[in-house]
Amino acid sequence: MSAPVLRLVDVLTTFPAEGRRIPVVDRVSLEVDEGEVLALVGESGCGKSMTALSAMRLVPKPGRVESGHIQLCDRDVLGMSVNEMRAVRGRDAAMIFQEPMTSLNPVQTVGAQVVEAIRLHERASFDAARARTIELFDRVQIPDPEQRFDAYPHQLSGGLKQRVMIAMAVSMRPKLLIADEPSTALDVTIQAQILELLRELQRELGTAILLITHDLGVVNELADRIAVMYASRVIEQGDRVDVLASARHPYTEGLLRSVPSSARHGEALHEIAGVVPSPLEWPAGCRFSTRCHRMEDRCVEAVPASTPVGPGHTVDCFVVADEVAR
Amino acid sequence: MTAGVANAAASDREPLLRVEGLRTWFPIKAGVLQRTVGNVRAVDDIDFEVAAGETLALVGESGCGKTTVGRSLLRLVEPQAGRILFDGVDLCALSRREMIPYRGDMQIVFQDPMGSLDPRMRVREIIAEGMRSFGIGANAAERTDRVAALLERVQLDPDWMSRYPHEFSGGQRQRICIARALAVEPRLIVCDEATSALDVSIQAQILNLLRDLQQDLGLTYLFITHDLGVVRYLADRVAVMYVGEIVEQGPTEQIFARPAHPYTQGLLSAIPSTDPSRRSVRARVIGDVPSPANPPDGCRFHPRCPQAFERCGRQRPPAYPAGAGISRCFLSDPAAR
Repeated sequence: MSAPVLRLVDVLTTFPAEGRRIPVVDRVSLEVDEGEVLALVGESGCGKSMTALSAMRLVPKPGRVESGHIQLCDRDVLGMSVNEMRAVRGRDAAMIFQEPMTSLNPVQTVGAQVVEAIRLHERASFDAARARTIELFDRVQIPDPEQRFDAYPHQLSGGLKQRVMIAMAVSMRPKLLIADEPSTALDVTIQAQILELLRELQRELGTAILLITHDLGVVNELADRIAVMYASRVIEQGDRVDVLASARHPYTEGLLRSVPSSARHGEALHEIAGVVPSPLEWPAGCRFSTRCHRMEDRCVEAVPASTPVGPGHTVDCFVVADEVAR
Repeated sequence: MTAGVANAAASDREPLLRVEGLRTWFPIKAGVLQRTVGNVRAVDDIDFEVAAGETLALVGESGCGKTTVGRSLLRLVEPQAGRILFDGVDLCALSRREMIPYRGDMQIVFQDPMGSLDPRMRVREIIAEGMRSFGIGANAAERTDRVAALLERVQLDPDWMSRYPHEFSGGQRQRICIARALAVEPRLIVCDEATSALDVSIQAQILNLLRDLQQDLGLTYLFITHDLGVVRYLADRVAVMYVGEIVEQGPTEQIFARPAHPYTQGLLSAIPSTDPSRRSVRARVIGDVPSPANPPDGCRFHPRCPQAFERCGRQRPPAYPAGAGISRCFLSDPAAR
């Protein structure tokens, strides 16, 4: 059996605030297998992006990974030197972000930026790297790739810029692609094009994808497995169909039912009461307890552990765990 | 003529708002003399109407002109041509001063609640400001009572009225914006991407609130959004915009079950579903949206249309009847069938 491409074990990442360290990734454990798409889903501020940045050792200061174990392509991420880590980024694991405009250099042509990325990792002449780049542009369906090589980012539409980012990310045929809200800023017809492209590339290159998104529809389109985050913790994990069709955690259940397309016209949408508490006011015990309709006394006293509720399907909830045990 | 078709398609209720041939272009100026060298045709000759108590959704992708329609209605931007009939009165023919009473009848709620609330005003002042302008409430004490009632109406604690906007979450701020809109007793509320910036669990709260307010107060909504899930949930009728034009219009059920225009079909097939039994997204619409400064000849959608034929690049399709609505597509031409 092959080892997972990415493995996080009890990862704890914190930021300082009000004289203490606040966890933004709280003992998160997850694995992404070779060629698999794992979607990390949750609402704003739940820690999904910070989890990905922790895996790449890109957590901005003054945040830091406090403890836990991170393994990326058989290497110990937290034990590597800065130079070793730099070589891993882009070659073994690449990232694409929501805002292609801010990830591209505005004063350099997009072609030159991809060439630079290629030549950072391998000895290639400019001409050879240029030819590769044009081939990649063609592969990600950028029309007139030769002309677009010399275009500046502002001359391209949002969809084309995201294609350039994808071309750059897959240029080294990475084992893992971390895609952080890759289609969120795009219009729906363009989003459909990008989702189709990612699906094709993933099949063709066998790249594993850690997909970070708040959009449960996008999750359904791309993911093999799903991990749901709430207030810095993973609270449910399982196969796509299990989580979307038979979610067990009260938060996941509520989230799925509050998507407008899941309701009939004229019916009230399901609401999750209240708001996500600020990290400074997180409740003890289960963090969802302040909004949960199934809350019991024990929920505020201790943190529920991950309990299997089906093959590969785990839920962090006392009430659900009891139901399963019965 | 197109207005006639649209009118026939609307419900039998008397329309509160009727828009005919609305055109809002923005001039492109260049050179030292700042001569007009072209126009951004943000809104180009559109017709629609909204019945009292009804929700019309105006949907489309970025840059299609949907926001400019909303702003033109309130004359926050000046349209070049067309008529905006509110309760039978043509707003375009009114002077600035004559327009004032109608500003209370029509309110707008924007996408970014932080950007539309003055950070230095307390919630009480924010909500009472409009009441003062329109002479609602005899004195300050009466207005404060009304502010408290309004806050309660949008499910916020009235004790919070002396707080500032930054002390609230995004969803709570949007509730404040809604309370401010309600304060002047409007009949029509334009919601411009009012829930787009919110997380899904908060969005559900705001959508339910808007729905309850409509039922209780008989409000009429023009709901401007790019989110077709929200449209399906909230709208009675839908108008689909593409590069400054309404390309299809009809009852929500019909638009989702039997879309007539290839753009609407493409838009619907691009929405990711959360139903795990199917993965349905198809990129049927190729390429990028053209610029409204230089729209394609003929049908504006034809360069991206999977079903385009020769006539589409030559001639602009008129509004053909399609079910209980209209479609600007030659495929809907009854003569071609």
